[in-house]
Amino acid sequence: MFKVIVRVCVLFTFTGTGVFAEQSTIPHGTTDAHQIVAGAVDLMRGETSYTEMSMLVHRPDWQRSSSLVGWTRGRQDALIRFTAPAKDAGNATLKQGEKMWTYTPKLNRTIRLPFSLMSQSWAGSDFSYNDLSRTDKLLHDYDLTLDQVVDSEGGHRIYFITAVPHEDAPVVWGKEEMIIRDDFVLMSQTYFDQALEPLKKMETLEIREMGGRMIASKMRMAKLDEPDNYTEISYDVADFGVQVDDQLFTLFALKSGGRG
Amino acid sequence: MKLLWQLSVRNLFRHRRRTLMLVAAIVVAVSSVTLLNSLIRGFQYDLAESAVANLTGHIKILAPGYRDDPSIEKSFEIAKDWQPDIPAQDMQGWAPRVRVPAVIMSERETRGIQLVGVDPASEHISFVGSARYIGERLVGSDDKRVVIGKVLAEQLETDVGRRLVLITQGADGLNREAGFRVAGLYDAEGTSLEKAFVFTGLSRLQAMLDAEVVTEVSVRLNQELHMSGIKTTLVDFFSGLDVLDWRELEPQAAAMFVFADTAIYIWFLIMMGALVFGLVNTLITSVMERVREFGMLRAVGMRAKSIVAQVVIESSIVMAVSVAIGLALGGVFIYWLRDGIDLTQWAEGMEMAGMRSVMYPHPQADDFVLVAFLSMLLGVFASLYPAWRATKIKPLEALRR
Repeated sequence: MFKVIVRVCVLFTFTGTGVFAEQSTIPHGTTDAHQIVAGAVDLMRGETSYTEMSMLVHRPDWQRSSSLVGWTRGRQDALIRFTAPAKDAGNATLKQGEKMWTYTPKLNRTIRLPFSLMSQSWAGSDFSYNDLSRTDKLLHDYDLTLDQVVDSEGGHRIYFITAVPHEDAPVVWGKEEMIIRDDFVLMSQTYFDQALEPLKKMETLEIREMGGRMIASKMRMAKLDEPDNYTEISYDVADFGVQVDDQLFTLFALKSGGRG
Repeated sequence: MKLLWQLSVRNLFRHRRRTLMLVAAIVVAVSSVTLLNSLIRGFQYDLAESAVANLTGHIKILAPGYRDDPSIEKSFEIAKDWQPDIPAQDMQGWAPRVRVPAVIMSERETRGIQLVGVDPASEHISFVGSARYIGERLVGSDDKRVVIGKVLAEQLETDVGRRLVLITQGADGLNREAGFRVAGLYDAEGTSLEKAFVFTGLSRLQAMLDAEVVTEVSVRLNQELHMSGIKTTLVDFFSGLDVLDWRELEPQAAAMFVFADTAIYIWFLIMMGALVFGLVNTLITSVMERVREFGMLRAVGMRAKSIVAQVVIESSIVMAVSVAIGLALGGVFIYWLRDGIDLTQWAEGMEMAGMRSVMYPHPQADDFVLVAFLSMLLGVFASLYPAWRATKIKPLEALRR
């Protein structure tokens, strides 16, 4: 149950990452790291989206894959529902601003998630809600510096950015390093502990055009000291600017099971 | 009277071996009772001390309902210049605090803890002030850093100088989260404290919670003697709030405290009860051995009262001497154990009983007096029966033997 809850939390972000209004590029000669990250974050915002995803949790002894479907509206609202495997199908999570609920059809019950649980680094998968859900944190809780600009072979410019959290920011990391492509696609994000040792890394494995945009269509999060443990998310369908019903992001829709 | 004394003393010296055995038995009993007594007292006071020092204080003022649902909503305001109306010689100090449940996160771990905002200057009354620290202590009410327990630091895999994220609920019911740098690690006696409490500056926490209030005021007295009177004063002042003493706040410790009192008396009764039978036995033997002597005394006109007095005096002398030696020996044992009995090996189990890992004797003058007094009383009591037997000796029969 818990695993499912947390796993679903993470996906809000992923559905979010696919949502952007307009693909622009970083102008040449930019030195303002803040602007670059703001662009990347803005890419992740959008009006509405509909996505179908699959998630693979890989461990040395086993791996498991599930399918999900999700709707988002802005950064505030999201609804995610498992469609496969059958054991998890119907499990759903609703996000309204800061609040979250889960619904399990087997129990026919919605549960409001306590904040402490949402901030857990969870078992079973390698993402944590905090890593991913609040990407705009990068803009106000960190000092951002542009370290390096490199021209890649594919004709893209790659920007290397270091983010150091403010003294009283609610961030546990010592620092984060991001690599952002000139079309604002986040290529990788590495999380360092406070001894500045890298702990885990999120990498974009595949960039594809979906729903009319170039997006990171496949991402992998792995702990660096356990490279055999990772979680991959890939998008099968992504549509942006779709029409969603206001009713979708309500507790009623959460309970009514997929027909919302 | 002088004659009776002489007779008694001479009788005692006539049977040195028997007298010495008796004295030895009483000495062992009395000294073990004193030693055990002071160890139990040590345990008792240690218990009370740690119950009072672990943020409880002697008296604590809480908002109604806080004990059932500890949150910032169950709080109250105190004036900046408020001082408790307690005579200075009775009060060791007082401390306002904000104590709320919170979640603490490091890069690797997350734990639920109690986040306590303190004014370090007034925390000499709790273990916050007295604990050993690795790194630094909090320096003021507006200190933006935290101190955490050594054990918690190990669990979180963090260290002095690292940052941690704390999440708690603000006065408006919404979540607050912020980063805090670790100023230092405290080493409290008892890992449960180290795991449970994280401290930061009081006004820093108030600012984070958006609430100029406190959830508790803890008062530490110099001694418990005037506690109930002071409590009444505080109840009057803080009408509408819960004013509780440590016995109400730590009922388990209070029960153990009472239990220790009882244990002392039970132990004393067992030891002395066993001793009384030995004493009676010895005295009867000594009376029976002197049938002729008593018969003679009666024949020359000594009254039964004087015979009783003689036996009682005999037993009292033995008692007085042995109790004196016993107490002295007990005192020597206590002195010898003054650095405490190290029970670190069993520290975890001891902690469950609310004890520290080192057991110190805590001799108390009135316990000594009580032991001496009760022993003497028992001595006299025990000699009455043999003395009565002595008066039943018929002079004619005795002399004919």
